[in-house]
Amino acid sequence: MLIEKYKSDIESILSRYPVKRSALIPLLYLAQRDEGFVSEAAMKEIAVLLRLTPPQVYETATFYTMLNLKRVGKFHLQVCKSLMCALAGSDTVIGWVKTKLGIGPGETTADGLFTLSAVECLAACGTAPMMQANEDYYERLTEETFDRILADLKKDGTSSLKSGPFMWPEAPKAQ
Amino acid sequence: MAESAETVRLTIDGIPISVPKGTLVIEAARRVGVMVPHFCYHPKLKPDANCRMCLVEVEKMPKLQTSCSTVATEGMAVRTATTVVHDAHKSVLEFILANHPLDCPVCDQGGKCDLQDFSHEYTATASRFAETKRIFQKEYFSPLIETQMNRCVQCLRCVRYCDEVMDVKALAPVGRGTMTEIKHFGAHPLDCEFCGGCVQICPVGAITSRLSMYEYRPWMLKRADTVCNFCGDGCQITVQTKDQELIEVNSAQGAGRNNGDLCARGFFGFHATSHPSRVTHPLIRRNGALVEATWEEALEFVAEQTKRLKLAHGPHAFGGLISGRCTNEELYLFQKFMRLTIGTNNLDSSARYGHVNGVRAMRLVQGTHRWTVTFEDITQADVLLLVGTNITEANPITGLKVKEAVKKHEATLLTIEAIQPAIGTISNITNLSQQHFCVAPSQFHAAVLGLLKAVIEENHIDSTIRQRASDYVSAVSQAVQQLAWDNLALSTGISRESFAHMAASLAGGRRVVVLAGQTLLRSQGGYGICLNLLDLLLLSGKLTAQGCGFAPLAEENNDQGTVEMGAVAELLPGAVDLTDQDARAQMTRAWKEELPLAAGATLIEMIDRAQAGTIKSLFVIGENPVGSLPPQTRVKEALGKLELLVCQELFLTETAALAHVVLPAASAMEKAGTFTNTEGHVQVVRPAIDPVGDSRPDWEILSALSVFIGAPLEYGDAKEILKEIRAVIPGYGSLGPSPIPPAVDHAAVNRYVTEGYRHGFATRYTLPAHAVRPEGTVQLGLVQSLFHSGKLSTHSKGLLQIEPSGFLQMNPVDAARCAIGTGDRARLSNSRGEFTTTVKVFDRVPEGLAWLPDHFAQNALRLFDCVIDPDTKVPSCRTASVSVMKTT
Amino acid sequence: MPKHELILLKNMMQPGYTGSLQDYERAGGYQALRKIVGKVPPPEVTATVLKSGLRGRGGAGFPTGVKWGFLPKGYQGPRYLCCNADESEPGTFKDRQLIERDPHQLLEGIVLACYAIGAESAYIYIRGEFVLGARILEQAIAEARTAGYIGTNILGTGITANVWVHRGAGAYICGEETALLESLEGKRGLPRVKPPFPATHGLYSKPTVVNNVETLANLPHIISRGPEWFASIGSPPKSTGTRVFCVSGHVKRSGNYEVPMGVTFRELIYEQAGGMRSDKPLKAFIPGGASAPFLTPNHLDVKLDFESVAAAGSMLGSGGVTVMEEGTDMVWAALRLMEFFYHESCGKCSPCREGSSWLVQTMRRIVAKRGRMEDLETLVDLCKNIEGRTVCAFGDAEVAPIMSTLKHWRPEYVALIHAAEAANLIMPEPAGRL
Repeated sequence: MLIEKYKSDIESILSRYPVKRSALIPLLYLAQRDEGFVSEAAMKEIAVLLRLTPPQVYETATFYTMLNLKRVGKFHLQVCKSLMCALAGSDTVIGWVKTKLGIGPGETTADGLFTLSAVECLAACGTAPMMQANEDYYERLTEETFDRILADLKKDGTSSLKSGPFMWPEAPKAQ
Repeated sequence: MAESAETVRLTIDGIPISVPKGTLVIEAARRVGVMVPHFCYHPKLKPDANCRMCLVEVEKMPKLQTSCSTVATEGMAVRTATTVVHDAHKSVLEFILANHPLDCPVCDQGGKCDLQDFSHEYTATASRFAETKRIFQKEYFSPLIETQMNRCVQCLRCVRYCDEVMDVKALAPVGRGTMTEIKHFGAHPLDCEFCGGCVQICPVGAITSRLSMYEYRPWMLKRADTVCNFCGDGCQITVQTKDQELIEVNSAQGAGRNNGDLCARGFFGFHATSHPSRVTHPLIRRNGALVEATWEEALEFVAEQTKRLKLAHGPHAFGGLISGRCTNEELYLFQKFMRLTIGTNNLDSSARYGHVNGVRAMRLVQGTHRWTVTFEDITQADVLLLVGTNITEANPITGLKVKEAVKKHEATLLTIEAIQPAIGTISNITNLSQQHFCVAPSQFHAAVLGLLKAVIEENHIDSTIRQRASDYVSAVSQAVQQLAWDNLALSTGISRESFAHMAASLAGGRRVVVLAGQTLLRSQGGYGICLNLLDLLLLSGKLTAQGCGFAPLAEENNDQGTVEMGAVAELLPGAVDLTDQDARAQMTRAWKEELPLAAGATLIEMIDRAQAGTIKSLFVIGENPVGSLPPQTRVKEALGKLELLVCQELFLTETAALAHVVLPAASAMEKAGTFTNTEGHVQVVRPAIDPVGDSRPDWEILSALSVFIGAPLEYGDAKEILKEIRAVIPGYGSLGPSPIPPAVDHAAVNRYVTEGYRHGFATRYTLPAHAVRPEGTVQLGLVQSLFHSGKLSTHSKGLLQIEPSGFLQMNPVDAARCAIGTGDRARLSNSRGEFTTTVKVFDRVPEGLAWLPDHFAQNALRLFDCVIDPDTKVPSCRTASVSVMKTT
Repeated sequence: MPKHELILLKNMMQPGYTGSLQDYERAGGYQALRKIVGKVPPPEVTATVLKSGLRGRGGAGFPTGVKWGFLPKGYQGPRYLCCNADESEPGTFKDRQLIERDPHQLLEGIVLACYAIGAESAYIYIRGEFVLGARILEQAIAEARTAGYIGTNILGTGITANVWVHRGAGAYICGEETALLESLEGKRGLPRVKPPFPATHGLYSKPTVVNNVETLANLPHIISRGPEWFASIGSPPKSTGTRVFCVSGHVKRSGNYEVPMGVTFRELIYEQAGGMRSDKPLKAFIPGGASAPFLTPNHLDVKLDFESVAAAGSMLGSGGVTVMEEGTDMVWAALRLMEFFYHESCGKCSPCREGSSWLVQTMRRIVAKRGRMEDLETLVDLCKNIEGRTVCAFGDAEVAPIMSTLKHWRPEYVALIHAAEAANLIMPEPAGRL
């Protein structure tokens, strides 16, 4: 039960909105953080918390691409394939994933580590090609950085190559 | 109201028209006979403008506008028939058809499909769509409802109806874009109110009824517009038949008091009367067993026995009991048969179970036997008070009127109900309450008294009544002063502040309607509480105000008719007192015969007299006292002592099984007549099929019996009886589309405030004893299920799919205390007996209560006590204290 | 020294600037708030913004002061401000930088707007993928709350302005203001039928203003330096101030460039962004995000202001400029964008829902050399039948790539179809296409 595990988080979320239903997406995120995806049980519990019917939770949950109603790999690689990234070679990035991990879009590696999704624009067009792995952005990908990222993720669960606060072109360096 | 008076003038294709301010262009067009094609628009729903089909040209607007979301304004010039508009319609239709499968030949909507009709009108040529059509995985939806999402045009009418009208929210548009499909939640079949609204409102064949799947084409069916007989709401239904088979029921014309809305019983329950166990031939008991006989033999037998018993014991050795499911014509003829052919006032009907309480209270206080308000007054009310209605389950369509008032017109809803607000698969009216008092039926009285006390103490008393009836006002004031807030809080759990708050809401309303339902009317002291509620309206000045009134809800479809036809012991046709000399004189003139003088026995009194041996014979029409009354009344034993028990029945009920003669009766699907609904609206009943087997309408049987007995009451058809009714009962003249409610009779109010209120006054202003609930027990209540009506519906294959048996419904806290969960078996017991059933944990049941659906409670009746109201003789046997134990 | 004075990007261009409250205050931050809150009557703030000529930076370019003026006067009860940080228009990535590098600039703008319109609550609706941005904003809000810039008693004036971050969850349509409101209410992000407009029936049916990040970030500067100053920048009177243009595609130095409105595309692409990445010349560019029709080298001297770009047959939109070099397959490019719109169509309106699926399938066929000449006529027809027939502007947007590429590069479509005819065989649908 989410309410037992995240009581204060849930209370804090609910306190932000005058109408309970607004807390729906934040609570779905909470459920996804907990289980890795949004389960039927979680949707039922959230419905009770927000005084909604389960179908009302369900219809919202299925509208948004970031909410997974099925389990995904430990690392969800989301490679942008929209035009701006494609101009900079995003199809090649998808090709690397296929070669290096053996998965195509919508597939998960047998060890359950990686899932690949080809996604639409993630607002990093100036630093294409790019991908998001779980919560982090990785931009201006090259085959070399891509290999390092995969290795880092497998080893440490994260990578130092992830983007920090965004600025491009970069600011002049402090003297 | 002022806003409806304002109008705007506009032209539609050059035709000038004046419409009320706020009217949508599509509706204005409809008024001049222009049908703008549309899918997503529906007058019941908020405009969503998603299908884009209803585009029209509006002068001075650059783009085409959707007429379903554009409000008509003064001087607007709308064109619906230009080339530009036609091309737009054609192009939108092309888009909608792009992914639509060409499966019209196997689609049940074929022949009544909007998409088919518009396609015929706009696109004669082949589609330009040469791509792959979208295909959804076929999913099993429900045993009653079929979905075929490939046909869906995504207008969302079903989803919006389920939310906006029903407040059920069982349907979800799932996914995004062109892959959006309508689904329910969970890996199990659909679980909802099964109102059939989604089936009816779907403009294409995406959602259809499985009861009639693949069986017909619309043009092969015969239609009969008639009235549903599952509850007092009186919904108009269209029954569609093929030969003698019932195929489908809907209310798609949007007509009737229900405006086209139905509930599960109305939509899916129609097979009840075509169950194979129908009694189709007369039966006579020979050597202890009921055996088939001819009508002649049966009628002859009954007539002979009747004549013999009457000669030996006189007319008062007879009694009669009739069901509120019968037509007015049958009820009228029944009481005439009992009063003239037999010569006794020993007669009663199912209205005695509760409806009589409401009607008697109205008669006493306001001098009417009908509501002074209509469904329209409910939808237009600004404050609604519901007391013990269980409205969604008992009177679902009246419930929709309440929902409409709250959801569409923002009325303030106040509720005193034995229901906990909780979200579930069926709607819960208390979720919409502005203020809700959750109290057990045994404490309705206390809650109403608290409200009265608050109205008086917070000084919400109308100045006129204070002046005109100071004695009455001070009597009530003094009475409520005696009640201590602490005691009220102890009984109800409601604070003085809450009572004051509700009293203020009530007093602040301009159009206030108080609805009292079955839970209240059938509970102990129900009559007194009705009087108290009328006092509440009277004191706050609402009783006589426009749009205000008291509305007791009828359970059976013609409970109101039984009272108006005089099919109860104490009332003559027209619901006038048996003792009223003028009324008696009038009836004598009409019938050309003297009426029996002696006061008649009511339901329980008749059973007692049968027990005592003074009643020797009983005519029972469609009623089943053995199945309805607790064994404690010793009803079975009493009926066993009768020398002649005649039952006119559809099925061999527990009562009919004891009969000497069973006469097969025709169901409401098989006969003509009229029903009077809960608001007092008289509606025409038309046969959809011929009587099943040898069955005959009850009036025909009574008429034939009277002939055999030798005191003939002869009528050629039901209309002839109606003609006689019209001559003796006001209000049965012309049957219009909506009722014309009576006004409060000021003379009656005067009589009430000067003298009438005194009778039983002390009792109804005394706080009922605060019952201490022993540890480990719950208050078991017999309740109405949304999916059944009496026992009749338990013969309906559709409804049995939804609810095949009864469950004990318990609050989660009580269930946990008993260490019991959904699906477990539980033994209920008290000093009177025990009963074992399956448990369903249900969060809308208040703590300390448990519910058992009436329809399957046959064997649980032994747990119940029966208390008779001293004034109205209503037997109350709906609650019992029981302990619950888990068992295997 | 940059050629043009920076306003929005000024702080973050300072070496070592971290975007912390301290840094922002040191750079003169929250002075605008101190100057007016509790001192200048709110209607005067609206008048100032109106006078500055500030127009919405989200895409539609509606004058901000006018939008605020639509709120019902004298309305008692809650009003809301929503900051649209759902930056999703392909080609656009400026809000991300404004949020992550200088969050307090945005927050000051939000509080100023709250004060002007009388909103006690503001929600920043940030696209779900900007996890870092959301975290940075939360952190900044906490700082500002502690410092008394946000909360129930701003700077001791008794005025309330609470700011909350609300993350979206992956839906382009939620950048449309009414879809944003639906989404913020916990529903599916479907645009609402208008009227009523958010100004009267917005969040929870209450009067609401929805403003873009960049729009709000301009407010502290307008208040501090005066509307006249702001109105003198750019190409007054209709396009005042600067804009942060996002340059992507085949240029040497892609990225965000803040320039006064009215500079030419030539300057933006060849001076700011360093010109083409290789020796191939420019073939096409999209001037204002994926919803804006493509332009050609002939349009390089068009000025980057609302009116000039509109006159050239496109729109300034969100300021996302995507550059394509010679050799780029324009039919393929249009298909890529069409795939985007197909994926993102919310499905409410039949023409857009069904049209996007139809268009994308036809385009895939043409690109896969399975097209027919009559497809071109059908494409144009379908586009015309979608345009202007939907609840929101998405319908107009989704036809832009096809309509404009067909207009400027029709021979490329024809060539693909001729190739199909030459091959004279029906090829199977390509498998696994993205």
